[in-house]
Amino acid sequence: MHSDLSNRLRADKKRVIKDKLVKYSITSGGALVLVTLLLIFGYLLYVVLPIFAPVTIEVERQFTQVKQEKILALGLDEQNDISYQINDQGELSFYSLREHDLGELLLSQSILKNHSAFAQSAPSSNSYLFANEQGQVTLFKAEFTTSYPNDKRLITPKISYPLGKSLIELDAQGKAITAISFELSDESGAIAAVTSDNRGFYLLLTATEDMMTEDIVWEQELVELPSLPNNVSQMLLSPDLNNLFVRSQDDLLVYDVSDINNIRIKSALPINALNSHVTTMALLTGASSLMVANENGVISQWFEVLKDNKRTLTFIRDFSAQESVVSLVPEYFRKSFLTTDEQGMLSLFHATGETQLLHEKISENETLSVAFSPRANALLIIDGKQVKLFKLDNEHPEITWSSLWQEVWYEGYPEPKYLWQSTSASDDFEAKMSLVPISFGTIKAAFYAMLFAVPIAISGAIYTAYFMSPSIRSYVKPTVEIMEALPTVILGFLAGLWLAPLIENQLPGIILLLISLPLSILVTAMLWTTLPKKIRESIPEGIHPLILLPVLLLTGYLSMSFSDTLELWLFNGDTRMYLTNELGINFDQRNSLIVGIAMGFAVIPTIYTIAEDAIFSVPRSLTMGSLALGATPWQTLAKVVILTASPGIFSAVMMGTGRAVGETMIVLMATGNTPIMDWNIFEGMRSLSANIAVEMPESEVGSSHYRVLFLAAFVLFIFTFIFNTLAELVRQRLREKYSSL
Amino acid sequence: MITLPKSTTEADVLTHLSADKTALEIKNLNLYYGDKQALFDISMKIPKGKVTAFIGPSGCGKSTLLRCINRMNDLVDICRVDGTIELQGTNIYEKSVDVASLRRRVGMVFQRPNPFPKSIYENVVYGLRLQGIKDRRVLDEAAETSLRSAALWNEVKDRLHDNAFGLSGGQQQRLVIARAVAIGPEVLLLDEPTSALDPISTLTIEELITELKEKFTVVIVTHNMQQAARVSDQTAFMYMGKLIEYTDTNTLFTAPKEKQTEDYITGRYG
Repeated sequence: MHSDLSNRLRADKKRVIKDKLVKYSITSGGALVLVTLLLIFGYLLYVVLPIFAPVTIEVERQFTQVKQEKILALGLDEQNDISYQINDQGELSFYSLREHDLGELLLSQSILKNHSAFAQSAPSSNSYLFANEQGQVTLFKAEFTTSYPNDKRLITPKISYPLGKSLIELDAQGKAITAISFELSDESGAIAAVTSDNRGFYLLLTATEDMMTEDIVWEQELVELPSLPNNVSQMLLSPDLNNLFVRSQDDLLVYDVSDINNIRIKSALPINALNSHVTTMALLTGASSLMVANENGVISQWFEVLKDNKRTLTFIRDFSAQESVVSLVPEYFRKSFLTTDEQGMLSLFHATGETQLLHEKISENETLSVAFSPRANALLIIDGKQVKLFKLDNEHPEITWSSLWQEVWYEGYPEPKYLWQSTSASDDFEAKMSLVPISFGTIKAAFYAMLFAVPIAISGAIYTAYFMSPSIRSYVKPTVEIMEALPTVILGFLAGLWLAPLIENQLPGIILLLISLPLSILVTAMLWTTLPKKIRESIPEGIHPLILLPVLLLTGYLSMSFSDTLELWLFNGDTRMYLTNELGINFDQRNSLIVGIAMGFAVIPTIYTIAEDAIFSVPRSLTMGSLALGATPWQTLAKVVILTASPGIFSAVMMGTGRAVGETMIVLMATGNTPIMDWNIFEGMRSLSANIAVEMPESEVGSSHYRVLFLAAFVLFIFTFIFNTLAELVRQRLREKYSSL
Repeated sequence: MITLPKSTTEADVLTHLSADKTALEIKNLNLYYGDKQALFDISMKIPKGKVTAFIGPSGCGKSTLLRCINRMNDLVDICRVDGTIELQGTNIYEKSVDVASLRRRVGMVFQRPNPFPKSIYENVVYGLRLQGIKDRRVLDEAAETSLRSAALWNEVKDRLHDNAFGLSGGQQQRLVIARAVAIGPEVLLLDEPTSALDPISTLTIEELITELKEKFTVVIVTHNMQQAARVSDQTAFMYMGKLIEYTDTNTLFTAPKEKQTEDYITGRYG
């Protein structure tokens, strides 16, 4: 008896162990799902967050130099190993920044002892120019050559004279040059200058190769600049040699110098900020933007904008450096620039990002000289006798919340816009990464897909669950469910290569089809009820939906064959042209209609299955109860069945939306992937998911583009997260309200 | 109470019921589920303002017969009926009869309470709203009257707009009765209305049935003989799709004529 009892106890223990095992394995399974989700979330954030990391600078190396001259310009090599400075004495000196010989003078040369003007061209060229009081100029370049003796990198500085070492005469009368500007590339160059007696010169240089000696010979063409203002304070020549900006105090003259035989003034305008005076100006990289700094610390950006078919220099936006700006230095390759002011403050800005990235006190001294390193990862600052190399951490200045989500006025565009254009063939191209057009594309694609899918799927579900005879239902439901298993790449492929051209060619037929199909169903149903009873009863109960099959096929065939006639009759034979010319609606071959149909087709099974289950599982007792109260089947459907199934139907629609938002292949293949913002059903879109699929393989790991793509993935994640959470909340509420027993 | 000559039996009274006292007359009713016949030649008269009970073992066809009265059997595709059921002299199987209107005149309550997922109030006025009645006053009044006649008013008057699922099983069943009563039917069919309820709720419903017969003709199907004995005025005993004996309740339970009836009520089978 006793052992019997203990046996039974042992058996219980086994059961307890099994129970616990099941409990823990199920719990850990669920927990793992959550952990995985969090990991994905975490990884996305890990990649995205550096975009929004603040800009930092810190001193990396510094040395004190003996001489303290006024610095005109300074620069660095690409590896930040060697610095150079050009001082007021007309000397170019190279100093080492390497650890082992920090501060050592490597090379120094006197370029021109007595100069009356100095100019530098775009920062990436490292070219400089001195002009003297006799109207002569010399152009020189700080160069670095890299060699690998003993497999170690060695950078050697060099000074070169691209136009030759001898002085070039600009003014035959030999007057002093007071302001000068130049640009020089391998094939062409130009120098613009003003003399003390207020005459302006423009010298165009064209390189030709000597056939015999293969030497470069510079052909020179000199013209005088017309109608120069008095007191020219600053001159700037754009690197494309199209525009010459001449500033006289607060006024700017823009010369069109693209044709040397027809140099003319394009425009003249005041460029100072309100109640202030201009201190200096500079061209941003790419040379489209002119940055104008003012005494009150306002820095305004100007570029040419096409307005009324005319390019005019237009004020775009401004930045504030708080104090009077002394110098303004653009970055080599990006649209960043920095300013120094009289208080020794250093400010770093990004033009299109419209942000101040940094505002920091660097020195007590107001004579601060600053240069970017070519890779923009360091700053060279000469503060009195101190030469400092700062490490600059500024990886993604162009990506800000406002550039991602707000309209941005990009160079060359007539107005601020939401743009996504991440890559281009051009070198001085600025990536435009607004998430708005692609988020919009996602919503647009999902919207048209749902517009197509929801009515069909829900009506289908209602019919199958509520009216269809069980025998047909047992075929129909699995068939629709199999549709779900269809790989979306096949759907996308069919949509892009078969449906899109078909719809393009047969547009009137397709539109006719959308109207005629539902109509033919109604007409058939009406005719059916008027048929003699004998014929009606000859078809077994529940089979009659099959009667519709030939009707639908015939209607479809007729609609399509009428397409051409209709096109000829209504749209002058070409619907596309008619839409574009007469109605002003753009038509792309791969458009939202195609996506709506193809993606609608893909989400129909999802919505259908869940909705059908929900409607079918409405307890029969409720239907009976309603019918027994004298309700017609339609009343019962509308007032009891749909109401009771509403949580299920709602979640079906939300699941479908979630699927449509995340769907990639169909959108990728059936739209033109054009990131435009337009609800037009005949134009395409680019969705977040398709955008990631298209661009991820070609984006450089760690670049802004790469991180923004991850951000797009994150946004997509948030999208579906919000959709599902909302769906769940609403469903819970509906369920509370309408759950049946 | 009808006084009867001594010679006529109760059964004779039912067969010779005059037209104005007859609520329903079933004549030679046969019902088939596909090839299988479920009801065999049933003829009976159901008197007005009385409670008539159908009893019999499971599967004897009592519920099927009940469902014939408001044509709920139409919902079963393979079901076929011949014979007639006359409601106030009209055959309800006539082609011209609208099933929805018929069901408005013949209300029905099912085994399990089946309130709709709506408020108590909306449940009661559901049938009225179907008929397009929108006047708030009419609806309010109907709701109160029917809830009162279903003996539910006092329990729910303060929470009319709460979900009906908050009610207990017994209350739900009374709500369903109120819902059926609200549209003012002539006949009320109760299909084992207490089979899913506890004894106390059952008692309340039984008391309610006795009150309901003041206004309606009640036909109740029950598998519980005591219940039939308690609530009904006359009882029909069915077996294997046939109407075996139909007479006044007292007689049926005390002096059944048929052997099968006696076997059943004495508990030999069923």
